[in-house]
Amino acid sequence: MPPSRESMQNRGDEDEVCPVCKSSRYLNPDMQFLINPECYHKMCESCVDRIFSSGPANCPVATCHKTLRKNRFRKQTFEDINVEREVDIRRRVMQILNRREEEFDSKRAWDDFLEQREEIIANLVHGTDVAKTEADLQKYAQENMRSIRANQALEAQEASSFQARQTQEQELARLRREAVRQEYENERRELLAGREDVLSRLAAGRPGDAATIAREGQKVLLKKSSARRSEEDRIRQKQAALRNSDARKAGQSGTTAADKAGDAGDTGLIKGLKRIKTPEPEKPYDPFGGMVPDKRDYYTLQDFYPSSYLDPIRQDTRMQAGGYDLREYYSRTLLEAFAGLGCFIDEEVSEREAANTDTAATEGAAIAAASTSPAGSA
Amino acid sequence: MIEDDFYRSSSQFRLWSYTEASLQSLRATTNANASERVRSALRKSREAQQSATSSAAGTPAANQNGSDADSKAGGEETEIECLTPEEEHQLVRYFCEQIIELGEMYKPPLPTIVRATAIQYLRRFYLTNSPMTYHPKSIMLCALFLATKTDNYYLSLRQFAEVIPGGTTPEDIIQPEFLVMQSLRFTFDVRHPFRGLEGGIMELQAISQGMGQPAPHFPTQTPDDLKRKLHSLPASPTTSSSSITNRLARAHHNTREILKSAAQMTDAYFLYTPSQIWLAAFMIADKPLAEFYLETKLGGPQQQQQGSPLYELRTKLLRTLTDCSHLLQAYKPLASDPDQKKNLRRIRKKLTHCQNPDKAGVAGQKRIPAAAAAVAAAGDPATSESEMERLAKKRKLDGGQPNDIFGGELVTQRTKEAQQPQ
Repeated sequence: MPPSRESMQNRGDEDEVCPVCKSSRYLNPDMQFLINPECYHKMCESCVDRIFSSGPANCPVATCHKTLRKNRFRKQTFEDINVEREVDIRRRVMQILNRREEEFDSKRAWDDFLEQREEIIANLVHGTDVAKTEADLQKYAQENMRSIRANQALEAQEASSFQARQTQEQELARLRREAVRQEYENERRELLAGREDVLSRLAAGRPGDAATIAREGQKVLLKKSSARRSEEDRIRQKQAALRNSDARKAGQSGTTAADKAGDAGDTGLIKGLKRIKTPEPEKPYDPFGGMVPDKRDYYTLQDFYPSSYLDPIRQDTRMQAGGYDLREYYSRTLLEAFAGLGCFIDEEVSEREAANTDTAATEGAAIAAASTSPAGSA
Repeated sequence: MIEDDFYRSSSQFRLWSYTEASLQSLRATTNANASERVRSALRKSREAQQSATSSAAGTPAANQNGSDADSKAGGEETEIECLTPEEEHQLVRYFCEQIIELGEMYKPPLPTIVRATAIQYLRRFYLTNSPMTYHPKSIMLCALFLATKTDNYYLSLRQFAEVIPGGTTPEDIIQPEFLVMQSLRFTFDVRHPFRGLEGGIMELQAISQGMGQPAPHFPTQTPDDLKRKLHSLPASPTTSSSSITNRLARAHHNTREILKSAAQMTDAYFLYTPSQIWLAAFMIADKPLAEFYLETKLGGPQQQQQGSPLYELRTKLLRTLTDCSHLLQAYKPLASDPDQKKNLRRIRKKLTHCQNPDKAGVAGQKRIPAAAAAVAAAGDPATSESEMERLAKKRKLDGGQPNDIFGGELVTQRTKEAQQPQ
């Protein structure tokens, strides 16, 4: 029996002594040491219970004046308390500075960010410039609350989807194994049944048929196994296809990345973030493209114009029945009466021809020139 | 002005408006290109004919190119005389008048607007094509038929062809259709001044009955004011004064006549906008009335100080309208002018000599077999074969006309049948 992890951890610690109550593991082999990430002073479980059950209290270690709470005590993961501490710091910083690579303009900016993060961690671990670094970190956390939260959610989602994929794969593998085992069983059973069948026929039949019966039995077996093999292939292909599509789906959900990561731009701390463009809110559709539908500059449209030629139409139900409206005629004729009155072709066309470097009046050039022709002088 | 922007978006303004200078240079270029091509084509056809006649004299091939032989008889080395741009222009104008006459022959006559559209199609077509390349006779029919379609005046092709004298078949009419459409750059919208005239007259009538509305830029006008001013207008020198309704009706009629003839036969559509054209024509018909109408829209000379945009617009517009009315007044119908008639006869005779043999049968792929058969009957299949090949190669090298966005025809042949004078 190899030694359990627990016992490995505690090996050589037989004479370990709780710095608070001085009780030794030798006397109490079930003794657990706990630490608090506030000051990382080690003490035994019973001490924690005793001192902190009635609420927060000062650390019992002589020179340490930190206030500790019971719920923050936990088991030590690493043997070296410095490593433990660094891991904690790292975890905390990583939670705040949880930008993702997609959010950066360039690889360079991303790398800079990583370096900066490492620097902050190192500062905190080694105690250089702690106050300023902490202040920066807090400020950043407050300013970027939303994006931090969004990225956390994203990470959690990724982790859970990874988990799900993992379990799914395991499930698939289990199913495959099951199927294989089942098959094996079936085959064996058939083999036995076949053999029995052959034996019983041999027993029942005439001695002359012995060889043929034996051969038949062999043939039946072969046929069955080949049929089964093709069936197996088919199933396997189907499964592979299924797996692929699953993987693809997972990939897609993975890539719909941190685009929605809220607020924009460079904060003081991190440089080179992609500008997040919040799309302009779509304006209500304007079918007239900014023109006022009934605004005219040369004339005021009336509802009625006296005309001996048009008046009969107004009375004619045959004309009106189809929805014909004389006002359409009025607006059209009057528009055509004035459309282009202020377009001076000799000026505007020569301008657009001047703009048009290509002297050959090809169609494309003409269209281009028309689109750049200046707005009228009126 | 908003109305002007509406017009600026039209294809007539974008693609078919020119300054006088650019119009001239475009016609000159077209003419130069076409003459160049005619000369080289005629030279080649002569060479081919020589080789053909040397091998088999008096064969159908020689007869077929009889007109070439005529010019050859005049002197082999002389330069072929091509039409000048002015002559081309006159010829096109003649065929524009023909369109009007042809429209009269239908029962009922084709609407003015259909004929006007056809005329504009023809004029636009001959901006980038030369009568030497495509004879206006066939293009004219096609343009008129196309206009009945684009202007929503339905006539079946058979009905359309029945009226046309000279045994023209429906196939002859629609054969150059794609070519025409292509030369029109597939823009079929022609903005005519006719409807604008109706609108203007309509509004003037409303004013005369005291129902006029003030123009947007002059909200102080009142219907009564306008009516009083209109009634106190000085009589136009050309019309004897009578009631204002009669005066309007007469001005309307005269303007319409000008628009139907002079505006179609001159380059007005290329140089001016439809509203300028009808106002210019209106000015010819009744100057005080036209000026009064403009005044209600843009203000009179006394109402405005210098430098305001409306004043600028007004002065520029008056200048343009005067130019345009000069252009319209300069028009003289061909029928009334024996000099022009004589000149035209000369041009048409000249055209028979300088028609591009390559394109003579533009109207037709159906003629290819006939032509090929004729050449084959000349007894020298090798010649005809190489001739065809060379024509194809030449076309490739020519690169087509500048306007041929889809390149030249894939097949051509040489026939002279299509060139008989009308």
